[in-house]
Amino acid sequence: MSETLLFLIPLLPLCCAVSNMLFGMRLPRLFAEIMAVTGVAGAFLLTILFWDYAEGEGTRAVLFTWLSSGAVDVSFAMNFDRLAAPMTLMVTGVATLIHLYAVGYMHEDGDYARFFGLLNLFVFAMLAIILADNLLLLFLGWEGVGLCSYGLIGFWYHTLENARAGTKAFLVTRVGDVFLAIALLWLFAVTGTLSISEINAQAVSISPGVVISLSLLLLLGACGKSAQLPLMTWLADAMAGPTPVSALIHAATMVTAGVYLLCRLFPLVSLSAVGMTVITAIGALTALYAATCAMAQREIKRVLAYSTMSQVGYMFMAVGAGTVTGAMFHLLTHAFFKAVLFMAAGCVIHLAGDENDIYKMGGMARRGPVELFWVFLAGAVCLAGLPLTGGFFSKDGILLALFTHPDPAYRVFWLVGVLTALLTAFYTFRLVYLVFAGEWRGTGHPHAIPLQMRWPLWPLALLGLAGGMLNLPDFVGGDEMLHHWYGDLAGRAVTASHSTEWMLIGLAVAIVALGWFAAHWRYRNYRPPVENRVSRFLLNGWQADSLVDRLFVRPFTAMARFCFSGCDRSLFDGTLEGLAKMATRYGALLVQLATGRATTYLSAFAWGFLVLLGWFLLKLVNGGGH
Amino acid sequence: MVPFGHALSFAAALFVLGLTCVLLRRQVIMILIGVEIMLNAASLVFVSASAYWQQADGQVFVILLMAITAAEVAVALAMVVYLWRRKRTLVADEFNGMSG
Amino acid sequence: MNALTSLPQFPWMSLLIMMPLGGALLCLLHGKRPADCRGLALATALATFGVALYLFVCHGQGSERWLLYEDVNWIPAYGIRYVLAMDGIALLMILLTAFMQVSAILLAWRVERHVGSFFALLLLLESGLMGIFLAYDLVLFYLFWEVALIPMFFLISVWGGEQRRRAALKFFLYTLVGSLCMLVAIIALYQINGIQTGAYTFVIGELLKTQLTAAQEGWLFAGFLAAFIVKSPLVPFHTWLTDALTEAPAAGSLDLTGLLLKTGIYGMIRVAFPLFPNATAGFLPILGVLALVGLFHAAWCAYHQDDIKRLLAYSSISHLGLLVLGLAAWQLTAWEGSILLMVAHGITTGALFVLVALIRERTGTRSMQELGGLWGQAPCLAALFLLFSLASLGLPGLANFAGEILVLLGTFQEHPVWAVVALLGVVFAAAYMLRLVQGVLWGPAKIERTLRDLTTREWLMLLPMAILVVWLGLYPEPFLAPLHGSVATLLAGGLP
Repeated sequence: MSETLLFLIPLLPLCCAVSNMLFGMRLPRLFAEIMAVTGVAGAFLLTILFWDYAEGEGTRAVLFTWLSSGAVDVSFAMNFDRLAAPMTLMVTGVATLIHLYAVGYMHEDGDYARFFGLLNLFVFAMLAIILADNLLLLFLGWEGVGLCSYGLIGFWYHTLENARAGTKAFLVTRVGDVFLAIALLWLFAVTGTLSISEINAQAVSISPGVVISLSLLLLLGACGKSAQLPLMTWLADAMAGPTPVSALIHAATMVTAGVYLLCRLFPLVSLSAVGMTVITAIGALTALYAATCAMAQREIKRVLAYSTMSQVGYMFMAVGAGTVTGAMFHLLTHAFFKAVLFMAAGCVIHLAGDENDIYKMGGMARRGPVELFWVFLAGAVCLAGLPLTGGFFSKDGILLALFTHPDPAYRVFWLVGVLTALLTAFYTFRLVYLVFAGEWRGTGHPHAIPLQMRWPLWPLALLGLAGGMLNLPDFVGGDEMLHHWYGDLAGRAVTASHSTEWMLIGLAVAIVALGWFAAHWRYRNYRPPVENRVSRFLLNGWQADSLVDRLFVRPFTAMARFCFSGCDRSLFDGTLEGLAKMATRYGALLVQLATGRATTYLSAFAWGFLVLLGWFLLKLVNGGGH
Repeated sequence: MVPFGHALSFAAALFVLGLTCVLLRRQVIMILIGVEIMLNAASLVFVSASAYWQQADGQVFVILLMAITAAEVAVALAMVVYLWRRKRTLVADEFNGMSG
Repeated sequence: MNALTSLPQFPWMSLLIMMPLGGALLCLLHGKRPADCRGLALATALATFGVALYLFVCHGQGSERWLLYEDVNWIPAYGIRYVLAMDGIALLMILLTAFMQVSAILLAWRVERHVGSFFALLLLLESGLMGIFLAYDLVLFYLFWEVALIPMFFLISVWGGEQRRRAALKFFLYTLVGSLCMLVAIIALYQINGIQTGAYTFVIGELLKTQLTAAQEGWLFAGFLAAFIVKSPLVPFHTWLTDALTEAPAAGSLDLTGLLLKTGIYGMIRVAFPLFPNATAGFLPILGVLALVGLFHAAWCAYHQDDIKRLLAYSSISHLGLLVLGLAAWQLTAWEGSILLMVAHGITTGALFVLVALIRERTGTRSMQELGGLWGQAPCLAALFLLFSLASLGLPGLANFAGEILVLLGTFQEHPVWAVVALLGVVFAAAYMLRLVQGVLWGPAKIERTLRDLTTREWLMLLPMAILVVWLGLYPEPFLAPLHGSVATLLAGGLP
């Protein structure tokens, strides 16, 4: 009985979302805002309250039957287990802080009901993904986050560009969703069930070829939501949405849904070595790609977007290396420091008078409240992987897993990871220097930063810095809390000799130092940006957008035109018109017989008479012949 | 007696001439004259048949035919007068209001 | 074949057919008083809906046999009987018909010209549709098939858009040619059966026992299919629908897309497939391929459109392609999904057509070049537009998804390749639907004047549809329950 109360965790944000959407504009603004924040905060508190339910095998709760037809029997059921619980806690906690931030950020916007409704709906959908017991409910949440993302990116719809960015996000992720759906159908056909726990249990009995195909399909589905290659073109444009949206959706939650999916189905995915290698390869390539693009970006949020893409690539590499703990550890720390970076970026943009270009900023350290610089720096050092920060331990954990993988090919991925770390340090400090150092280069008029935008930054910054405590490796004296919490869900246990670990740490420190030094040398004193083919290439994301446009969008539109003008109008309708014209022409021919003249009809009489006469004569002749 | 065959062939020739007149003439009155000739040819057949089979029925029918012909000509000529008044021409091809 | 009803021998089904007919007659008589006509029509539609709802509640759990059966001698000399039969599938269809007609009458509230005739035609159409879903004698079926056709023709050609004459004529001739092929097949089947068994009859249940040679079966099946394929519509026989839907008046479009299209599919399920099982088995792969071609072709055409009504017309064809795919899979889950999708599609696309009519009323245009930014000007209307568009593109948790996922799950069991290809079509649905939403709702407002948001009458139409869309998406069990038995029987080739 009390298990059903677990459903309050996702349903509380849902109710607040629906109420806000239906009645929000009629209520006083404060009321709507409080309702929104309470929805998420309530879910957070409930997660803490019900934490014990997640221990051991977890708790399964069923609400009611959704679809029941033939062999299909799917209900609204949730599975609150050891994998779901920390993720739920993180999502609801970070969401609460971001909601508070959003109250301040959006205080001038009049469309608050829609905004907070969508934001709460998003949290509900994300919780549906995390807590779903079966793949269909997960798919509902999956599409739900896509929908909310669409609505929130295009929130300021009066500018058509924003709506287009939202549509692009929806469509690209939908392509990924198709692959996930195919995997879903296939899994149902093979195992006869859509329940995740049962699929994982039956995974070993599925034939290897099918397992590889399923892993690849799931990977492609995950790539869509997590903005990995080849479905990554939507993330940079998604920055058109309000900053709280970027912080919540495109830093902490939706982009990590793909990683979560792979971790959820890890017993299935980990069975195929080929699949794991492909996952790692995609993660590595994306990480490197995104890091190179981030080096050349001019808008502050786009830098952070590409850096998110890059870090999620690390999480994919972790999954591919076989360590769920590593992936989830990095997921959690990344959520903290990336959210704080985005939120601080929002403050910076406010201060710069709604200016996004970092080359037109500078000197923000002195311009804004002093804490802004420290908070941003906290996030930045976590991102760069400065020793002892949360980001350092999680990234290092992943690199260790790659280095110690039994398959020697993984050393290549490790190398890519190291190179990306170098680039990460470089572009992070580039960002810090260009925004905060030197003199103010811009022209905008600063907006005041409300209190609600400032103080949620602190908890997240501290969590980011201290996040390493979650899974402190034992060679520095930690107890690997997360790894032990996950138990048998944790994937491969990463063990290495202490000397290897210290060597890798030394390498990491050296890389951070190198990256910082390079950024310091180049960007400490301001230089105008360099415009050459390389920088433009990187700025445009290796021209991915135009590639997609030429490969898919233009043929699609051309095909649409062909189908309509070429087939429907010319062929099908043309055939019909042709038939009609033929009938009309035939009629016109026949009507020539009806001249209206008596003489014509008289001739017709005469001819007819002749024919009849002839026929009778023939009959006479034949009859006489017998 | 005139041989039946002669009378029949004469009547046939007369009929064909009448038909030719109907088909080839443009004037309404000439068409009507052709019709008259065809009717006369038919009467001739009746008369010669009656002479051949020595029965009066044929000749009686010819008298009837003459009466009918007279009535028909009266109506036809009345219509010709009307047509003349409508279009001031008696060329049959001009009257094609029922075409199409 | 005995009348298994839980209610005493009350002719509920005849009531369903006769009530709208009576209402139509009364409307015609009251033609001079438009207000009376409207009230009368609405009352009749509500009464019919009440009866349908009552039947639905009574027989909600379905059965493998007939739920209701009426059998009266009609024209004994030719073996024509007045036979009405209802099973789970027909139950859902009549409920949908009754519901949509109430909305259609509300939508047509503001018609100015020949009000009496308009509502009389709508009610006559309802009567014909009820008859199609309930008739079990072939002559009766054909009769109602044509009865449903004629009011539609007049609705389009008298009250329609600019190209109405052409569209109405095209619609009429196209569907009539199909119907005539079916008539020939009916008569031929009648003759063959009569010669074989000595008992000349048109009742479908009796005709199921006819022994047919392969060639006979093939030709007769083709005759019936001619009518149903044109009505469904399957590409390439779909061009009549786009013109008809674009030019029809609002209530006509609603009926056309919500109901008339389903009669073709229902005909396949009820008449063509049971009567000719061998020909069906051979034809299913072709049907599947045609369905997939229709899915993609219509989606591409929809993407290219600027007129929002024509875009929705093509989207209808695309959805019906997916529906027919489910039928072609010949699998229990897929069939149930298809029938659920029939109901869901009727409601979502119907609602979208209602909204398009409302937008046209307010802005005077249906072109996406001239529309835009409607969200700021009429928020409630825009929100509902977004809701139904999302339902139409198959968002989980809303109506269409429930049907679609069942179709896909079922189809994957039999023909995995078809299901995978159909899934790609789902992306296309997102593409054109989002283009529609973007063209109408987002962007700067191009219409300068202030627009009225929804009135009470419009809320009355749209709110029940919105509630149903969410209900069908989250808890379709009450609508799936009547289907289990009937679909299982039909798939096994048996007689309910």
